[in-house]
Amino acid sequence: MSILSKLLKKKHSRKKNDNYRQKQDPASPAELLIQREYQDNLARMKRELGNSTDLVVREIKIGQNQGALVFIDGLVDAKTISEFVVETMMDKNIPNENFDIFQYALNKTIALGSVKTITNWNELYDLLLSGCTIIFLNGYNKAICGETKGFEKRSIDEPSQQLSIRGPKDSFTETLRVNTALIRRRIKSPNLWIDSMKIGRVAQTDVAIMYIKGIADDKIVQEVKTRLNRIDIDAVIDSGYIEQLIEDETFTSFPTTYHTERPDVVSSQLLEGRIAIVSDGSPYVLTVPAIFVQFFQAPDDYYSRFDLSTSIRFLRIIAFFISLIGPSLYIAATTYHQEMIPTTLVIAIAAQRENVPFPAFFEALIMEITFEILREAGLRLPRAVGQAVSIVGALVIGQAAVQASIVSPLMVIVVSITAIANFSTPVFAMAISTRLLRFALMIMAAFIGLFGIMVGLMLMSIHLCSLRSFGVPYMSPLAPFNGEDQQDVFIRYPLWALKNRPKYISKGNRIRIGENQKPEPPNQSSADKPGSGKGNQE
Amino acid sequence: MLVGFPLSLKQDAWIGLLMATALGVLLFFIYYHLYKMYPDLPLTSYLQEIVGKWIGRILGYLYILYFTYLAARVLRDFGELLTSTIYTNTPLFVLLTLSMIICAYAIQKGFEVIARVGELFFVVVYILAVVGFTLIIISKLIHMEYLRPMLANGWIPIIKTVLKGSITFPFGEMVVFTVLLPYLNQQKKVKQVCIWGIVLSGINLAIAAVINIATLGIDLFIRSPYPLLSTISKIKLANFIERLDVLFMVYLMISGFMKTTIFYYAAVIGTADIFNFKDYRKITFPIGVIVLVSSMMIAVNYTEHIKEGLKIVPIYLHWPMQIIIPSLLLVIGLIRKHSKQTKKPPAQTNS
Repeated sequence: MSILSKLLKKKHSRKKNDNYRQKQDPASPAELLIQREYQDNLARMKRELGNSTDLVVREIKIGQNQGALVFIDGLVDAKTISEFVVETMMDKNIPNENFDIFQYALNKTIALGSVKTITNWNELYDLLLSGCTIIFLNGYNKAICGETKGFEKRSIDEPSQQLSIRGPKDSFTETLRVNTALIRRRIKSPNLWIDSMKIGRVAQTDVAIMYIKGIADDKIVQEVKTRLNRIDIDAVIDSGYIEQLIEDETFTSFPTTYHTERPDVVSSQLLEGRIAIVSDGSPYVLTVPAIFVQFFQAPDDYYSRFDLSTSIRFLRIIAFFISLIGPSLYIAATTYHQEMIPTTLVIAIAAQRENVPFPAFFEALIMEITFEILREAGLRLPRAVGQAVSIVGALVIGQAAVQASIVSPLMVIVVSITAIANFSTPVFAMAISTRLLRFALMIMAAFIGLFGIMVGLMLMSIHLCSLRSFGVPYMSPLAPFNGEDQQDVFIRYPLWALKNRPKYISKGNRIRIGENQKPEPPNQSSADKPGSGKGNQE
Repeated sequence: MLVGFPLSLKQDAWIGLLMATALGVLLFFIYYHLYKMYPDLPLTSYLQEIVGKWIGRILGYLYILYFTYLAARVLRDFGELLTSTIYTNTPLFVLLTLSMIICAYAIQKGFEVIARVGELFFVVVYILAVVGFTLIIISKLIHMEYLRPMLANGWIPIIKTVLKGSITFPFGEMVVFTVLLPYLNQQKKVKQVCIWGIVLSGINLAIAAVINIATLGIDLFIRSPYPLLSTISKIKLANFIERLDVLFMVYLMISGFMKTTIFYYAAVIGTADIFNFKDYRKITFPIGVIVLVSSMMIAVNYTEHIKEGLKIVPIYLHWPMQIIIPSLLLVIGLIRKHSKQTKKPPAQTNS
């Protein structure tokens, strides 16, 4: 019985909240309207906000009218309020005639950029709680709302996760407006459109969708909006919440949305036709659709010359495979396929493993798990003890472990190279998924050797091919193969040869660079005969 | 490419393969015309259209059994290879089960995923092939004189062998496309893509045969159970790059997987079509178990398996299923179409 009533209650409260969401409804019920008597309004507000101590109410007299100024302490800029609202309102020169004081206050006294009139309590709360100042005037069943936002925010820092040698050094902060501005500052195009919405039944988090009209695929934009509108959760604390609620496939270890803290990355992805989702309170911006190869593209790739970035990209791909199958190859080779290893090395390995009491699989498992523990602990450590743990860690994965006959020296090398290779993946989300899959492959290798690794890798390939991100196949442009888009997969073409935006995302406007952008030394023949250089070439 | 070489032709095996390719293209045209007649239906459905409901159904069942059997054969081929070379102590059943899990997973994900995985693996296989080829050349293993004398016994034995075996395997196995073609997205490209595929694979097979013969010599080429594996294990470079059997295993797993999956998928789709299943995914696992068990049971040992595969199956199974029945179908279909066109008004009143 009690459960039933609880359920009913839940439903009821849900309904109420749904009403709350439909704030723009013009025919709002009578109880949501602002009263004429300002004292009534103040009393109601205090009651509904539970007398919260950060609610500041300042009674004020404007001309002959009583009124009140309401704002939330900490969300507003106190200086703005005192200078541009209170001071002007207290102006003695207000004519004492009997005229519409409300219009007068709205138009003449409040010296703020954005002012509007509201009649509805829901809207009032929305604005009040996002940092506006509300002014009630006695005798009017409406209120003035002035934009006085101004709270303490973190300044723009250097990126802490996705570092680069070359390129911009700013990163997103927790404030939505700062983030959108960082992107807008890079793309000064009227076609950069921003759509906003509030997500979170309780928290009402601001979420913005950014895309370049004409480059982004309208269908995908629509799909993003539909998926965001579908979200019905109490709060969006970080963009990670959104990511988990809009991805195509939950049961996968691969990320199907991209997140970054770098405005330059987001800008270049917007220019490729992707869509960015910025959520207030999160320094990570999501971009969709995300494809597999994208996670191996680092921002540096585009800022340095193509030969260097191509070879580094190859390095990264090799590192990806090492971090994926390193330990499992060791297990398979030492347990099942000794004939694969050169003879002298086999003898060396056998000699090393003589003192180790565990089979290769357990040896690898012990070391890998130890390393994962160290890594996880290192992440959460208070700075002061960090040093101590790294010393202990070096002991555990190192000479001491070998001397204690727990592992063989080769195993230490394998684990270390795997771990280091893992860090070379530019995006953490991809790195962590290889960490997980590595263990699965280790089990397969322990079970049946190389064949097991192949089985694992094939299952992984099938899984990867079956994934989609907002309708775009995850493995494109490899499978389905698309010759034209190979310009930015394994080999990063020279910048002047990156002619088109990727086909799998952008549909309409695809040319990104003009003809004849290849830099050349001044043409000799054209110097001799000015104006006819082109004709000579042909 | 495992056991696909017409060994009896000795050094002329590659000529036989090229000839079979040409015949394979002809064969494809039979299947293609059938498909053109019924572009939306798989084989199992248009069988019923062409030869009537009952006979068509029975033939449809036979084809499903045929595809299941082929899937089982391919699976066994490749399991036998693993047990006889690398995993000598591992039970066949374990290897086959694991392979079957991959195939079932791919089928569960749908045809699109199979095709994409195919694209991905195609690239991998080609890279492996090029690497292997380069290594063979660098190791100075190629002896072109092994290929001589050319056509020592004239054309007759070549034609005989081609008709007996090579045309049915691997080219005749295209009969599986009669089931798959209706599910393709870009129907217009079918002809071009398939013919290119046949020609390309024919040329590749011929190249592989040439390399194998030139590396191993005729004696070894004929005696070795897996010529390709023998060729690869001959690679030895700088006392360091050797024992590249792994490359072979990767290649083998990929090609074995693709082939098994396609036959298995054809069997699943055919069954779903005949029994009117809305979602073929429900019968993936039951048929998978059948394929698995039958691949264990079709032969007691490798010798029996290979003898069946080379002597009995091509003539008593491949020929009727791949060539005779489709040709007859095409003829009957064309006659029916013709008569339908001439007697259109009465046919309409009847129906």
